[in-house]
Amino acid sequence: MDEKFDEQLLILYASQTGNAMDAAERLGREAERRGCPSVSVLSIDEFQPIDLPNKEAVIFIVSTTGQGDNPDSMKGFWRFLLQKNLTKEWLKGVQYAVFGLGDSSYQKYNFVAKKLDKRLSDLGATAIIERGLGDDQHPSGYEGALDPWMSALWNMLDQKNHKLLPNGPDFVSLDATFIDQPKIQIIYHDVEEGVPPLSSDTELKYLEMQLERARSMTPGNFSGNDRPDCFLKMTKNHLLSRPDSGKDVRHFEFEAVSSSIEYEVGDVLEVLPGQSPAAVDAFIRRCNLNPDSYITVQPRSTENHHLLNQPLSPVKLKSFIELTMDVASASPRRYFFEVMSFFATAEHEKERLQYFASPEGRDDLYQYNQKERRTVLEVLEDFPSVQMPFEWLVQLVPPLKTRAYSISSSHLAHPNQVHLTVSVVSWTTPYKRKCTGLCSSWLATLDPQRRVFIPAWFRKGSLPPPPPSLPLILIGPGTGCAPFHGFVEERALQSKTVSTAPIIFFFGCRSDRDDFLYRDFWLSHSQNNGVLSGDKGGGFYVAFSRDQPQKVYVQHKMREQSMKIWSLLSQGAAVYVAGSANKMPSDVFSVFEEIVSTESGVSREAALRWIRTLEKAGKYHVEAWS
Amino acid sequence: MRRCLLFEWKIKIGKLPNFLNYATGTEMEQEKLLVVTDQVAVSVSAIFDAVKVVRKEGVEQIDPLIITQASLDSLLSVESSSIDDVVSICKSLEFPSDQLLASLSRVLKPGGRILLYLTSQSEEANSSLERKLLLAGFLDIQSSGSQSVGVIGKKPSWKIGSSFSIKKTSQVLPKIQVDDDVDLIDEDSLLTEEDLKKPQLPPSDCEVGSTRKACKNCTCGRAEAEEKVEKLGITMDQLNNPQSACGNCGLGDAFRCSTCPYKGLPAFKLGERVALPGNFLAADI
Repeated sequence: MDEKFDEQLLILYASQTGNAMDAAERLGREAERRGCPSVSVLSIDEFQPIDLPNKEAVIFIVSTTGQGDNPDSMKGFWRFLLQKNLTKEWLKGVQYAVFGLGDSSYQKYNFVAKKLDKRLSDLGATAIIERGLGDDQHPSGYEGALDPWMSALWNMLDQKNHKLLPNGPDFVSLDATFIDQPKIQIIYHDVEEGVPPLSSDTELKYLEMQLERARSMTPGNFSGNDRPDCFLKMTKNHLLSRPDSGKDVRHFEFEAVSSSIEYEVGDVLEVLPGQSPAAVDAFIRRCNLNPDSYITVQPRSTENHHLLNQPLSPVKLKSFIELTMDVASASPRRYFFEVMSFFATAEHEKERLQYFASPEGRDDLYQYNQKERRTVLEVLEDFPSVQMPFEWLVQLVPPLKTRAYSISSSHLAHPNQVHLTVSVVSWTTPYKRKCTGLCSSWLATLDPQRRVFIPAWFRKGSLPPPPPSLPLILIGPGTGCAPFHGFVEERALQSKTVSTAPIIFFFGCRSDRDDFLYRDFWLSHSQNNGVLSGDKGGGFYVAFSRDQPQKVYVQHKMREQSMKIWSLLSQGAAVYVAGSANKMPSDVFSVFEEIVSTESGVSREAALRWIRTLEKAGKYHVEAWS
Repeated sequence: MRRCLLFEWKIKIGKLPNFLNYATGTEMEQEKLLVVTDQVAVSVSAIFDAVKVVRKEGVEQIDPLIITQASLDSLLSVESSSIDDVVSICKSLEFPSDQLLASLSRVLKPGGRILLYLTSQSEEANSSLERKLLLAGFLDIQSSGSQSVGVIGKKPSWKIGSSFSIKKTSQVLPKIQVDDDVDLIDEDSLLTEEDLKKPQLPPSDCEVGSTRKACKNCTCGRAEAEEKVEKLGITMDQLNNPQSACGNCGLGDAFRCSTCPYKGLPAFKLGERVALPGNFLAADI
């Protein structure tokens, strides 16, 4: 074929939590409705950047994380794009548009989208329209910016390149008979094939098998779809915080049951949570499903051949729901409401659902659904006349996601075990309902006496394990202390055989009696020549935020130890910051700027550049979770 | 051997031990030497032997200030940091006391040496003397003499109580080793001044019932409006006999407006008591 360009609208998304993916899929649907002959929606890591010059029109939907970073899926693509040897003609003739998802309460607001936009333009690509910036702080979230940006996009595309939108730019209004097709199909099987009868020593094997089958069938790829690295059994469940303190922080210990495990300090454990049996049953009843039937799930279109290569073994419907579909925690997306409206038989329900799915109802939907954290089950119960076919449910119910936690043990100190420090998440919704986090509360209710097998994966986080000779400055308030618990355990062990460099650790919590996590552990290592002791050149400092009228945080304690910190930095120490507060990492960064500037006498700007160099040299690491 | 008393010796070389000379800081060409002892009298040869330990060179030219039965008062008139070497000839391990040792340290010049010389030789005594010096703040402590008869220490060479700037405003930062990816451009260069400015939060539409609350000194009337909303909070009567003018309240959260008093409660039938779910929080109830 002689064509220079592929006749296609390519939509690439870089999603961290699924929002960018959702926006991209919506964009794809809207393009199809306008008659675009060929639309492709892909995660950016499924696309080879070398093919970029061959594309006619590419739309990028990219999220920025709280620290101003790319989502993981974009890291490879971005590295490619930053190459010096790409010329400013490389993308000549390629039309593009960028939409970013970010949060304006952060300094590095939508940095990923801004940088991408500039880079693409520098490489010779032509912008169809100005970049759009979605903002979590907007009353209806990112959709507040997406709707107008999309309209502008369709209008411009229609003008510049009419063959992409033969139906014209205007929104084809939703009528009762128009509906998309589900992307997957479900095949029901009569008998369970090749499964041995249940007995106690194969209980684990049964779970393993069901899990593998179920998760390999789910549409979309996300973390936890590959085989678990191991199955864990909980051996300890201790409350670390004081009862009635308003906080519930636990120390969990696990043992591997199926295979030996390997990990390093600073690594992350991903866990697949169990769902409440009552919730799963309620969902099955509500949707009129037969829990005992056996199913396989396959993509409807024949394009995705790779999924059909292996014959799929059937899995029990109830297991499939339990293991892959999040029915009582995650909120459904706008499209779910759109599809629901087709299957509502009560008129007022149908109207309301159509309203929610429309641009006019967007803000009200945001209040009712996203802000309130409405679960799938709750939404279905609020619209009792809706009977959605199982295919649609499988496609649209949010996938059950793994949850990641920083590991708090050193494998050297605890062979075949892994420990976690988990805060049970709970909050009150705007409508004043009390909610708890799915995984943290599930783990908290687990009884080590009962045999519950937990699928788990080991992953690298942002905290590389330090060699024993590297001096360390650690800042980890609250559950941020978890990875550093592992660091200290490991260094203490290492100090018995080799000489180790000092560690100074800044911890913070509300008060001494409420939530001074691992108090005895830290204190014991700061005495008697321990790795945190002054004798060894180390230190341990605690900020109790609520034990006095004024707030005292880790950054205040850091200022008090300005000279010591500078001394260690001058010796080549590495900095590790971990924790769950939104602003803590940037507050800590500011204090470092201050310390470097004051102690060395250079300007604040020079200090800032020096710390940035530390980051580039791999000596400044941040693990921040929300 | 003729035993001479101290003053006789001094007379012999033509000089009287003159505390006042030292005290007024009379300049002497040789290094100033102070000898202290707990004994009533000490022989010249003992002094020579002791001094030979601390000063390797010839001792003929020495002119020591000698204090016998030395006590704290003995040093009151000796100027601080005026002595190059101190030799303590002691019979007992208790001498010099810690306080006397501190005084000796005071009169020593920074970098000056001290020798604790025992007239009775004893191996174990040395470690005790070493500890004494260590605790008093002396450095470079070592046993000395041909038969380890004494312990030498050195006064630290910075003046006690002097201050000097710790902050080296050298304007130089430590060099960092960066495994630079020289093939990639600096991505921060892609951002403009505008991009780097702190973002402005989107203008609030001041909608009552949204997450934005009225300021403490609210002048736009939002505070009154919010107060009105609060008053619409649920009452027991409303729970027992729920009514709905719009007809939507009973349908559940999906159909309720933002000011509905039944927000957060499950669906209900008009007139029938509303079931409060276990997880519901309401301020007024």
